[in-house]
Amino acid sequence: MTLRKSMGSQARSDLLQGTLDMLVLQTLRLGPAHGYTIARIIEQRSDAFLQVEQGSLYPALNRLEDRGWVDSYWATSANNRRARYYRLTPKGRRQLQQEAARWRELVHAIGLVMRPIEG
Amino acid sequence: MLRFFRRGRLDAERAREMQAHIDHAVDDLIAAGYPRDRALAQARRRFGNPTAIREEIYRMNSVPVLEPIVRDVRYALRMLRKTPGFTAIALLTLALGIGANAAVFSAVDALLFEPLPYPHPDRLALMGRHYRSAKSGDDHEIGSNGRMWFAVRDHTSKVDVAVMGGTAGVNLVAAENVAYVSQQRVSAGYFRVLGIPPMIGREFTADEDRPGGQPVVILSHDLWQRLFGGDRAVVGKPVTLRGETYTVVGVTPSRFPVTEGGGRFDAGTGIDLWTPLRPSTSGEGGGTNYEVIARLREGVSWVEAQNDVRSASPDAFVNVDPGDLAELELVPMQAGMVAGVREPLLMLWGAVGIVLLIACVNIAGLLLARGATRTREIATRMALGSGRAAVVRQLLVESAVLALLGGVLGLAVASGTLSVLGSLGAKVFGLWQPLTLSARVLFATLAIALSTSVVFGLVPAVQTSRLDVQAALAETGTRAVAGASNRWPRRLLVIGEVALGVVLLVSAGLLIRTFVHLRTLDPGFDESNLVTASVSLQDARYREPQAVAQLFEETTARLRAVPGVQNAAVALGMPYSRLLNDGMRRLDGPQVDKPGEGRITNEMYVTAAFFETLRVPLRAGRTIQARDTAASPPVAVVNEAFVALYYKDDPQVIGRHLGPGTPREIVGIVGNTQQGASGWGHFGPISPLPCIYIPVSQTRSDFLTLVHTWFQPSWVVRSSLPETAVVPELRKAIASVDPQLPIAGIRTIDDLRGAKLESQRFMMWLVAGLGLIALVLAAVGVHGLIASSVNERTRELGIRLALGATGRQTISAVVIPGLVLAAVGVAIGTAAAFATARLLQSFVWGVTPSDPITFGAVIAVLMAIATAASVIPALRVLRLDPALTLRAE
Repeated sequence: MTLRKSMGSQARSDLLQGTLDMLVLQTLRLGPAHGYTIARIIEQRSDAFLQVEQGSLYPALNRLEDRGWVDSYWATSANNRRARYYRLTPKGRRQLQQEAARWRELVHAIGLVMRPIEG
Repeated sequence: MLRFFRRGRLDAERAREMQAHIDHAVDDLIAAGYPRDRALAQARRRFGNPTAIREEIYRMNSVPVLEPIVRDVRYALRMLRKTPGFTAIALLTLALGIGANAAVFSAVDALLFEPLPYPHPDRLALMGRHYRSAKSGDDHEIGSNGRMWFAVRDHTSKVDVAVMGGTAGVNLVAAENVAYVSQQRVSAGYFRVLGIPPMIGREFTADEDRPGGQPVVILSHDLWQRLFGGDRAVVGKPVTLRGETYTVVGVTPSRFPVTEGGGRFDAGTGIDLWTPLRPSTSGEGGGTNYEVIARLREGVSWVEAQNDVRSASPDAFVNVDPGDLAELELVPMQAGMVAGVREPLLMLWGAVGIVLLIACVNIAGLLLARGATRTREIATRMALGSGRAAVVRQLLVESAVLALLGGVLGLAVASGTLSVLGSLGAKVFGLWQPLTLSARVLFATLAIALSTSVVFGLVPAVQTSRLDVQAALAETGTRAVAGASNRWPRRLLVIGEVALGVVLLVSAGLLIRTFVHLRTLDPGFDESNLVTASVSLQDARYREPQAVAQLFEETTARLRAVPGVQNAAVALGMPYSRLLNDGMRRLDGPQVDKPGEGRITNEMYVTAAFFETLRVPLRAGRTIQARDTAASPPVAVVNEAFVALYYKDDPQVIGRHLGPGTPREIVGIVGNTQQGASGWGHFGPISPLPCIYIPVSQTRSDFLTLVHTWFQPSWVVRSSLPETAVVPELRKAIASVDPQLPIAGIRTIDDLRGAKLESQRFMMWLVAGLGLIALVLAAVGVHGLIASSVNERTRELGIRLALGATGRQTISAVVIPGLVLAAVGVAIGTAAAFATARLLQSFVWGVTPSDPITFGAVIAVLMAIATAASVIPALRVLRLDPALTLRAE
């Protein structure tokens, strides 16, 4: 998975596998969305820090759908265009809860390690 | 996994999705103030390469193992298209083999193995009797008389029993409708024992089921719909049956599975109504005309039930000689029901089994031949780096594709065959459930075909991988001389194929000869220009001989008055039909039978002019005349077969007297006519049976009442008019005397004979068809062997021709091995056919199972076909140009 830092810095952050999946699932908790919206929401919620590369997004959506965590349907967007919308399935919701919990533990653990060393 | 197969469609969808993404991005950029073209470029640049993304997703959806197999399937289909001859023959072989087997086995399955359509059918039984005497050994028979029924009804506790009588056509008047319907007489408890109670109302009570009981009737669902329009308040309504009023007490559920005596079932349309049997020990109950059905009571084992029934034996039999054994016994219902059709079915099964074997042998041969020609291709592929596993996998896939395609075609053949079997065989086998293609049979046959083709398809792969790749490619080493070593498997296959063909064709030949024999028997009368009509006289108004005789007299007189009608008569039976079996005693002459030691014979009553109408030749004395009346001395006419059986050494048969009852004088001897198989003696399906003819006027009331429950008398008319003109006259003549007598069936003599020979014809066509398939397949096998050996030996034959061999010599060199193989196959097959023909004994009439004509013809035909199949490919040798052949290699 590749995330691209904004400001065009091209720094590759080797984040843990499945992070993009988690981000996408989290995004879909707001409601069904098509690919472009998903990418925009991730950008906006990360204060434009995370910019989703389409080459990762669409394979990720394909994978999520294959695992039954999301399903998709075609609908007309606000721009009056046909677009493929994704939404969370109950299975995907459970998966998101697990991943979010794991993520919090991880951040907490890393936080503990990275806390300022005194003395 | 599903996505694997839907990749193509998913990809197109993905492309649209990405386009939508770009469009949305463009929309946003335009909204942010970009000009359209720059927005577009910007959006595209940001998006990246959509094709690359799609490819990645496409790969994600791929399954690594399936990928090459799909490629192999495509390749296999291409290979099959490129060799249409091979493909067509292989597919035809598979389709016929799989199709015929699946169809016939489905029928076997439905009849022999499919449970009967009753609740807990494994607890149902038929009652039979077991006789053992020192003279005739063991004898098991199904069927009961009144005494046996009362014994088992009154002296058993572990089985629930009921009894059924025969079925007959009767005339019904109900709700202002007149109909000719099929009636079965059953005892109280019949529906309870079978486990299917009436849908409306109730079944018969014990009170109704005894002589003098209330006349009540249960209607079939169909008849109820037809006559009463499904009126549920039908119980209590009257119907008139043979002139008597019956009260409806119940209606069966729709498609009630009917059991009939003699092991016949019908899927629910056979019987229209049921009346109480009212069993007795005299009349009908005096002979074994009943069939007892039994259901094991809850928790009773078969052994306990058998013992229980056996314990009733002392009450069931009288006059058992000391030392002899007579016992009641139970036979599981299904086994009892199919006893009569078991043999023909198993025979058919054997025949289709042989066809399947031949088909497999053929496929094996074809694949072996193909493997030989593909050695080079495989060697090339291996030389180019293809792994052995890949080659094997591809050959496997090819075989499987072939077998599956064959299976699909086989399915079509099977359903076609099955519908023919169903319609032709329904009467022959008495099907009680509709034939459906059995899925497990289809899969089993397909599995056999699949494994055959896979196993033999692999041979070239194994051979090739053993080969030195370089040698195979250099090829002069393997192709210059006929390599004898690797052709043995194919030779054995051809021998086997021919041998199996002989077995099947001999069986077919014997059945054809039997049929021809039966078809060309001397009928014993003039068959042309006769029309017959049968009418049920199971009618209260026709109990007295006087009334019956008068009906016959008036109707035949009217018929004779019709211009163009030469003569008319009525008789209880017609030629080719089954006759009444009755006892008789010789009262004088060289051999006299003591009272109680009667002989069995066939018997029918006739009117005056019966022999004249049919033109049965008179051999001595006189025929039955109008002057033989109730008042004149009782007379009888017998036929030559009767004389041959019972008066062999008596020079003066005319004037002898027959019992029982008032002595009857034999006044004439007539020629034999062909009759349908009878319940006694070992006669063919039609044969000149011994028979006594008596005038209808000299019968007794109880005799008429009894025989009319089993038989319907037939009017027979000889005329110069066409059949279409006679039939209305017949109807008119009968209706003008008694308008309440509907005609049950109009038949020509051909119909009567055809009905008797139906099962013979059916078996003959079926086995002959299978024989033909076997012949074609064997010819294909021999042809294939010789053709490929010519191919393989092209270079050798070219050298021979170049060195001065004549075309004739060269052809012989190719053909003779083929003929030798065919001869060996024929020899083995003939020996096997001698053995199997004995199994056909019970189907063969008028020819011996070792019939030299059949065997000779089959051997000649097979050798001729083998010769043709060998010579045709060998003729290609003549077109060889030696110089060209040598250079080409």
